[in-house]
Amino acid sequence: MKHNFKFYFAFYLAKLSIIALKIIGRDASQFPGKLAITLCPNFLEQIGKPQTIIAVTGTNGKTTVCNMIEDCLRENGYKFIDNQLGSNTNSGIASTFIKGAKLSGKQKKDLAVFEIDERSAIRVYPYVKPTYLICTNLFRDSLMRNAHTEFISNMLSTNIPKETKLILNGDDLIVSNLSPENKRVYFGISHLETDTDTCENIARDIIVCPKCDSKLEYDFVRYNHIGRAHCSKCDFASPKIDYEATSVDFENKKMTIKHENEEEQYDLISNNIINIYNMLATITLMKELGLTREQINPILSKQKIVDTRYSKEIVGNIELITQLSKGMNPIACSRAFDYVRKETGNKAVFVLLDDLHEAANGSENIAWHYDTDFEFLKDDSIKQILTAGARYLDTKVRLQMADIPMEKVICQRDEITLVEKLKLEGIDKIFILHDLYSMDLKNEIKEKVKKKIQEELEQKLEEKQEEK
Amino acid sequence: MEENLKIEILFPEFCNLYGDISNMKYLKKCLPKASFIETAFDEEPHFVKEDVNFIYLGPMTESRQEKVIKKLAPYKERIEQLINENVIFLITGNAIEIFGKYIENEDSSKIEALGIFNIYAKRDMLHRHNSIFIGEWEETKIVGFKSQFTFSYGENTNCYFAKVEKGVGLNKESTLEGIQKNNFIATYLIGPILILNPYFTQKIIQKMGIEEPKIAFQADVIKAYEQRLKEFETL
Repeated sequence: MKHNFKFYFAFYLAKLSIIALKIIGRDASQFPGKLAITLCPNFLEQIGKPQTIIAVTGTNGKTTVCNMIEDCLRENGYKFIDNQLGSNTNSGIASTFIKGAKLSGKQKKDLAVFEIDERSAIRVYPYVKPTYLICTNLFRDSLMRNAHTEFISNMLSTNIPKETKLILNGDDLIVSNLSPENKRVYFGISHLETDTDTCENIARDIIVCPKCDSKLEYDFVRYNHIGRAHCSKCDFASPKIDYEATSVDFENKKMTIKHENEEEQYDLISNNIINIYNMLATITLMKELGLTREQINPILSKQKIVDTRYSKEIVGNIELITQLSKGMNPIACSRAFDYVRKETGNKAVFVLLDDLHEAANGSENIAWHYDTDFEFLKDDSIKQILTAGARYLDTKVRLQMADIPMEKVICQRDEITLVEKLKLEGIDKIFILHDLYSMDLKNEIKEKVKKKIQEELEQKLEEKQEEK
Repeated sequence: MEENLKIEILFPEFCNLYGDISNMKYLKKCLPKASFIETAFDEEPHFVKEDVNFIYLGPMTESRQEKVIKKLAPYKERIEQLINENVIFLITGNAIEIFGKYIENEDSSKIEALGIFNIYAKRDMLHRHNSIFIGEWEETKIVGFKSQFTFSYGENTNCYFAKVEKGVGLNKESTLEGIQKNNFIATYLIGPILILNPYFTQKIIQKMGIEEPKIAFQADVIKAYEQRLKEFETL
């Protein structure tokens, strides 16, 4: 494409802004792109693109899948540009292109990996045409931004370029119907022992057939609308899976992936089903790119979920686990609650899901609490639920709506002093479930919990010594 | 008395966005002896042939709106009759648009609605409106949230649900929120509005014939309501 004066003006100014931002020690992952698009609205169309563009979208798992893809590519010698440190909207993508471009406007590298926000489809895909687009899943997300899954899936289907090959979660009936004319491959996990016939989640976005409105018959339900189903009256059904995890061995952390009658074994990095889907998405892409199991598995098996999302350590004789549970995202929080209840041992859970920005500047819309399965916290193994934050009174009501015995619940405004109410007696595991924007708070609570465990241990030792 | 109450939830399999179905879960906790009927989309609504005390319809996707209009169109006269007979209707979110004249798309195409009320909606799918709301209804302050792609226009001066104190009404220029005729209440407010508004819930239950209603978790929902009202007033 020929560049016009507007483009060069925007491009060079944006390039200069990167240098200026670096000098003053500021983040240059969003502003340069924003500036370029403001000065030249079709900047994304005009800027040179790498030959191959890999894009990852979906409600949950985008960042993890991008991290996995990038590690696999890097370790196998690929050079690429990415928006890992920046925004996943059009301005973040433009910033990445600006940084990666020569002064002519052409890219230095032939490959790009982008995490792309679903809501940005309309501003990205008309100009950036991915060679491969992975969609991990589509769920209810922030209702204020994303409304509902039909809105997001329509937005994706309307804007995904015809030439893009889709890599789709075939166990997600909304995702599997994106852009039906595009070439595609599906990944999925065959029936698991933990699958059920009926869904126990509140949020289910595909109960009736999208073609004929008849009730869908689920062959199995994994969670929410994840599973396999067919219509009782027409030909609508879950697709045939191209890359299928046919046996998942949670105990030994292995899975077998079947593709075109060939089977390969891969190591699991965790027994969390969401991470298995994330791995499957990555492996499917790598196989499509022509990499072998030997090039993929050793790298994936070394993967660690970043500390901001998940951490586990043993303090004394108690496991202390932190788990990101994005506020406003009912499915992410429900998965976290499900994970907690299914873990072995007696547990105490900190539930810190309030949006701190909203707490400081507004009043959070808590409608999403009622799409979230707080009911999963009603489990005999969960001995204490500690919750605090600006919306503590709402959370208290929500927990009562879930029929959780209130004698198990500590509910107060102040988050930090919550730790004083933690009862360690008989507890094997402590979970801190926290929002994306409360990392500092999570860290502070974690440190206080560790201190409390250590102090109680020391006290017990002293008491034992005194007894002797 | 409570055991004679019949509450019909229309199409809960997809008219369930934004946690609104919790309104009915809460009502069940407030009226544990009442009968709750969940009518699926492929069934005939219970209200067509039987008397019910309360009908609930929650928010849905835009494509479902069109299907719900088609589904309810044959029962328009029956719905009007029930409104005139003081049956309680609670219609939340974009379900209000089902009862207006039409819904207009961005390309000016129109979807004819039931035409029971003299309002019409305009969609703008690229701009989502989010706001908080305080309004006055029967000397009670209503609090809530709006999150929507549409606004409605037309005449609700003589049939509004609440007078706006903070936020917007049917549209950004309107100071009158929703529709109310007899006990038919339709509002763009979304989410658990019965849980967020304990005094409103008490009055609704009173309208069903329970003289001294006891709402579930009364002390805690009132505390949460008072905190929210105070917050909203300062924003």
